[in-house]
Amino acid sequence: MFVIKGVAASPGISIGPAVLLPTADFAVSNQYVEAAEVKAEIVKFHTAMEKTRRDLDECEEKLRSSLGAEYANLMSMHKMILQDPMLKDATIGKIKNEHMSAQGAIFLTLKELAASFDKIEDNFFKERRNDIFDVGKRLVNHLAGDKGAFWAGIRRPSVLVAHDLFPSDTLNLNEHQIIGFCTDLGGKTSHTAILAQSLKLPAVVGLSNAAREVKDGDTLIVDGENGLLIINPDRYTLASYKKIQREVKKAESLLQTINHLPTVTSDGKNFKLMVNFDPRTYTKDNKKLITDGLGLLRTEFLFMNIPQPPTEEEQYQTYLSVAKHFDMRPVTIRLADLGADKLPSFPLDEFDKDDNPFMGCRGIRLLLKNPELLHTQLRAIVRTACEVPAQVKIMIPMLSSVEELRHVRKALNNVLEAFAQEGKKPVNRIALGAMIEVPAAAIALDGMINEMDFLSIGTNDLIQYLIAVDRVNPEVAHMYDPCHPAVLRTIHQIIQTAHQRGKQVSICGEIAADVKMVPMLLGLEVDVLSVTPRMYLRIKNRIRNLNFESCSDTAQAALLASSSEEIRSLIEQQNQDEDS
Amino acid sequence: MIKQEIKITNRLGLHARPAALLVQTAAGFDCDIKIAKDQVEINAKSIMGVMMLAAEYGSSLLLTFDGTDEQAAKEAITALFANKFNEDF
Repeated sequence: MFVIKGVAASPGISIGPAVLLPTADFAVSNQYVEAAEVKAEIVKFHTAMEKTRRDLDECEEKLRSSLGAEYANLMSMHKMILQDPMLKDATIGKIKNEHMSAQGAIFLTLKELAASFDKIEDNFFKERRNDIFDVGKRLVNHLAGDKGAFWAGIRRPSVLVAHDLFPSDTLNLNEHQIIGFCTDLGGKTSHTAILAQSLKLPAVVGLSNAAREVKDGDTLIVDGENGLLIINPDRYTLASYKKIQREVKKAESLLQTINHLPTVTSDGKNFKLMVNFDPRTYTKDNKKLITDGLGLLRTEFLFMNIPQPPTEEEQYQTYLSVAKHFDMRPVTIRLADLGADKLPSFPLDEFDKDDNPFMGCRGIRLLLKNPELLHTQLRAIVRTACEVPAQVKIMIPMLSSVEELRHVRKALNNVLEAFAQEGKKPVNRIALGAMIEVPAAAIALDGMINEMDFLSIGTNDLIQYLIAVDRVNPEVAHMYDPCHPAVLRTIHQIIQTAHQRGKQVSICGEIAADVKMVPMLLGLEVDVLSVTPRMYLRIKNRIRNLNFESCSDTAQAALLASSSEEIRSLIEQQNQDEDS
Repeated sequence: MIKQEIKITNRLGLHARPAALLVQTAAGFDCDIKIAKDQVEINAKSIMGVMMLAAEYGSSLLLTFDGTDEQAAKEAITALFANKFNEDF
């Protein structure tokens, strides 16, 4: 089993055998490519190498059975030529340094090698140039590819694996039993992603080297929910994905029945359920969801992969189109949480790569060191709030002290004043609040809560910081545990402190979309859950089937527990009670 | 880094079969292995390089081993030459 992480481009799960799309046709005259295509050409070359190797294996086998081992050894000479570093290095060098196409680079390399063999006086070695050209011919043939025959050759429902998918390929997807696909290139907004969503095919893109890792006929799971490609899954993984696949389908059919119903428990307690919004992955189906508002708009994506920071106008256009969608409901915009694993591609003042980035200059710390970034973003948000009836809320990421909060408040007031001088005023008062994800902010919350209008618990980072465990470090990742007593007690303390001052608390981390954890969060008396759109109806359904009083009892017992194991069994116990 | 001079003692020189054997043996080691003859130096893991040397009977080669397993590589490869690549000439 082998797992590659990519970008979730289109939701759903597909399971099936792999078919590899042959690399694209190109004219022999096309000797050079754009700098951006260099990587793709190198992948093409590797794919052709791999296919040629398989050809030679087959040939060797045939020769062995028909003519015997002596002749079969001839093919091992061809295989050694194929794997020769001189051929490989020289070809890749020409693609990389001179931006030649894979095909052009192979031609030139072969020519150069043949010329050196011509200089040799010994006839035996001279003749070896034919072996080289034979191998070269096979390589070039594989680079050219034959797509018509490829599509016609698909005889069962299959998962398509491609380096990149061209518009010309897309027509074939539906006609030829393709149940899902994955590509090396592309991001969430690429044409391939949009296409996949419109075809309702599960898809993962941006896998970098899937086309090289996957072989025809491998069993693949395309996890369009989490952006994973799983190659040759083990029995356990396969079984659990088949179960998820059924649940995904079931959740889709629920859309019709409960979308318009309120988020209320079976014993009549109301909760608010919002969505974490990512405009890049908002599909038609997502748009049909009836929600209580936008609980978290991440804005980092506006700052990534561009040579300079986004302008006020660019940000404004994005926020405006998002806010319009939510009419009069709350729209929570989180200030850019850059730093740590989300580094912008443009240079920033006073910013060096940290050794310990999650404890370094990220979130509000980075914005306060780069006040022009903060200023531009605040202006874009205020401008939006002047145009839309939605209740605009600004959320501060990584808040750790009341001073940071005051700095942002002051910057916001300056912007509001500047707008006032132009005669512009937000339709609704803009709320300023914080993401509580640093333990210091959770513990000292009572000292700063009077200065914030709302708060949201960012459980992903809060858990990581509370337990001092790096989720991406495989040595300790298993210790990352939402059921740790410290986590529940901290959430409880935050909610109690907020309620004493009459403020609502929302939770927008992954824990809010965890079906098992929802009863615990309700029992701790959270006011708002904000979840990813694809989980929205599943969580709503869950809440509608829960009894609040029983959630309360479970939460009270969990707060007295001394281990996560105890807490887990309390949750299990309640799940069973609900089912019976 | 280890340097080792060696003379080719099998009559047909480094023709196809010994060349293949040499490259296969060299590829089994992590260290860099270079072979120099006259003014030409090649990578011992490259079949085309070894063939280009066209090393005939009696010619002398300079082998260079560089890397963590250089000692083991040297022993394996000098043994190939000493055994005349298992050819009975």
